[in-house]
Amino acid sequence: MDQLVLFVSLGFTVGAVYAVIGSSLVAIHSATGVLNFAQGSVALWGVWVAAELGTTGTLVLPVGELQLTDGPATIPVTVALGVISSTVLALLLHLLVLRPLRAAPALSQVAASVGVMLLVASLVPLRFDVTTTVARPILADSSVTILGAEVAVANLVMLGLAVGVALLLAGYLRFTRWGTATRASAEDEVAVLLTGYSPDRLAAVVWLVTGAATGLIAVVGSPSIGLDPLAYTFYVLPGLAAALVARLRSVLVACAAGLAIGSFQSVLLLLSTYDFWPVWAQAGFGDTVPFLVVVVALFVNGKSLPERGGVVSGRMPAVHPPTMRALPALLTLAGVLAAILLTEGSWRFGVVTSVIMALIALSLVVLTGYLGQISLAAMAFAGTGGFLLSRVTTEWGIPFPLSLLVPALGATVLGVVVGIPALRIRGAHLAVVTLAGALAIQNFVFGNPALTPYEGNLIADPTLGGLDLGVREGTNLTTIRFAFMVVVVVGALTWLTARLLSGRTGRAFLAVRSNERAAAAAGINVAATKLLGFGISAFLAGVGGCLIGYSRGQLSVESFSILVGLALLCTVYVAGITSLTGALLAGLLAPLGVAETFLESSLGLGEYYNLIAALALVVTAVLNPVGITGSVRAAITHARSRRQQHVLAA
Amino acid sequence: MTVLEMRGVTAGYGSAAAVRDLDLTVAAGEVVALLGPNGAGKTTTLKTAIGLIRPRAGEVRALGRVVDRRVDRTTRHGVVLVPDTRAIFSGLSVRDNLRLAARRGGPRWDSALERLPRLAPLVDRRVGLLSGGEQQMLALAKALLCRPKVLLVDELSLGLAPVAVKELLPVVRGLADDLGVGVLLVEQHVDLALGVSDRGVVLHHGRTALEASAAELLADRDAVHRAYFGADERND
Repeated sequence: MDQLVLFVSLGFTVGAVYAVIGSSLVAIHSATGVLNFAQGSVALWGVWVAAELGTTGTLVLPVGELQLTDGPATIPVTVALGVISSTVLALLLHLLVLRPLRAAPALSQVAASVGVMLLVASLVPLRFDVTTTVARPILADSSVTILGAEVAVANLVMLGLAVGVALLLAGYLRFTRWGTATRASAEDEVAVLLTGYSPDRLAAVVWLVTGAATGLIAVVGSPSIGLDPLAYTFYVLPGLAAALVARLRSVLVACAAGLAIGSFQSVLLLLSTYDFWPVWAQAGFGDTVPFLVVVVALFVNGKSLPERGGVVSGRMPAVHPPTMRALPALLTLAGVLAAILLTEGSWRFGVVTSVIMALIALSLVVLTGYLGQISLAAMAFAGTGGFLLSRVTTEWGIPFPLSLLVPALGATVLGVVVGIPALRIRGAHLAVVTLAGALAIQNFVFGNPALTPYEGNLIADPTLGGLDLGVREGTNLTTIRFAFMVVVVVGALTWLTARLLSGRTGRAFLAVRSNERAAAAAGINVAATKLLGFGISAFLAGVGGCLIGYSRGQLSVESFSILVGLALLCTVYVAGITSLTGALLAGLLAPLGVAETFLESSLGLGEYYNLIAALALVVTAVLNPVGITGSVRAAITHARSRRQQHVLAA
Repeated sequence: MTVLEMRGVTAGYGSAAAVRDLDLTVAAGEVVALLGPNGAGKTTTLKTAIGLIRPRAGEVRALGRVVDRRVDRTTRHGVVLVPDTRAIFSGLSVRDNLRLAARRGGPRWDSALERLPRLAPLVDRRVGLLSGGEQQMLALAKALLCRPKVLLVDELSLGLAPVAVKELLPVVRGLADDLGVGVLLVEQHVDLALGVSDRGVVLHHGRTALEASAAELLADRDAVHRAYFGADERND
């Protein structure tokens, strides 16, 4: 019993952070209709600013820094500046990114806030000394005895702070006139405007308060939780889970749910020390909790979640079905082959990775660009393919090319399973499910020593009819045979996908994207179409994962981390998520592809890759949602129509 | 005294102009009926008058100042629009809706019930549960609490029984008579609208087709009909 009390109370610290993030997400959703994936990043930045002040007395800004004191700054100063940093970040996020996207489709909003999430996550290791893992204690180190357990006062203070924040937010929304107006703006922003309130200003108040609260709870909790360059970023997932349990309506319920998730994870940790607990569930199992909570919450009250009363609903980026012309395809193919033959070493490896990444990007184009289902799990599908490949080649001895097919089919099954929630869940909520699922797969499957051997997942080289297609040969980093094999596989799949998208299936996808009810009325089986889309997308990603596996020879959890997945999403969105050309271009820009090789070996700026990708994503989402290929196409169309007008005038 | 003045206003959505070169004035205490067939530009005129749409040409002045895009400020200054969507919040109670509109230093939220006593027993009910007529009453009550000096009303009768309209329009007239509010009233029921108005303007294809006193328009129904269908007056 005392053990249980102890672990429940230990969970309050991290649970309090979940709770405040969850409460903040509910309040922000009320005020703006946005699910803010970057709320964890708001916490992350504040934590590191405070930590740096606590050790060196330096106030670190995104660019530049101020030396405030010679030694460590005092505790009140560190906490205050940490909170202010978080608050300023939240306000900037509102003013520069999400306010301009107020009327944009869910995809743009998700892409932009994911971009900010990645931006902060990649900025932290560049700006701070992230080898520090312990922050200076802020709360007193004393304890009280409750039900026979020594409970640290710090944990109770965190609990009190979280409940206090939730009561404050709930009181503001419930009892003040501005709070009522904020709730009203969730229903109809123009009506709020016509009642004499500025929805922007109401939203800014909420961003300010929630940013400060999130910063405060994270900074105060950081000495117990520990410093980590990434973990806080993903605290947004338990926060989202808590917010969804509260149906995005009740701040107080979100707070309670957040605390409960934190305590439950802590109790799981206790259980995993007992003998009866299975070995496979020892590592990463806690990370599946938010995913399970999200799925259950969305399934139980999916319909009753508030949808924004959109007066202006934004237009989605235009789609032009592939035209299946031979010449551009052959030119692209020739270009790729030339690039393979003319390069060597790390450059050729970059080219081949780009080709593979183009396939994974294609899976996002199919699922998100054409079918309109926002998935953040593409890399998890690829990872499933890669990890199955390791089993298939080393344990079962299945030969190439069957060894590509079996893991890809495994990924397809997973894709269809993940697609099932999508039958009831749409837009930003689906993005939450897929991100939570991706994190659960990463930590519970790929990162679980019971399922994945310590030495990594070895992969046997492919051979076909006695011909060695392995990636390495002596000192040659990438053989031409391997590169050609990749081009053949990717080319064939791209051609098949293009055929599919230019025909009836593609039209069904587009119909479902623009209006599910209208599509159903036109005789399209919406459920089957969605599952087909998820299946195809996961198959393509699965093959891509296998090819990545072959190109590395072995895989670890880092190969398919969520950050790589989000960076890939960035590049696809920037390149143009609604066209095949966009997928090819995304391959060039993708992580470890040609663009990163260029940054790394020619400019020596490889460490800035994620930062640049995230920044590009945010700018694209806000200013140019059709991406590079979309705006190039628009420019060409514009030029053509001008020329025609000239001809007509003459 | 002129409280609303539109001079040479051209406005619309995208590249299409819904209103072209429109001149329109409303004086304090005056009710002007804005009439015309579907697509004549009536709603666009109201939205432009409060700043929801920026005029592409011309100028809108209300209460002596140029109307800009900051609709919330314009509303606080006393230019109030009751749109055809009613601008009420169905998730909140009647009381909360009225409290939102009643600002510090202004009339108390329940003062609106004096002119619309039928709302009084409904104050604790959620707005989504009210009937269409009751919702329209609430929309008017909410506009009242914003202390309007210019009141723009879009299709008070939308989806309502004529009986309900007969109850609401006199309230609008009363605001003009008792408080000197200048009212611009868009209405489909021509007779009902002209019955409470001082003046009528018929729009056709975004232009003024006919403008006269309400009494004259009520007397010469043929002229109104011709203006509705866009017949040129020279064809008489």
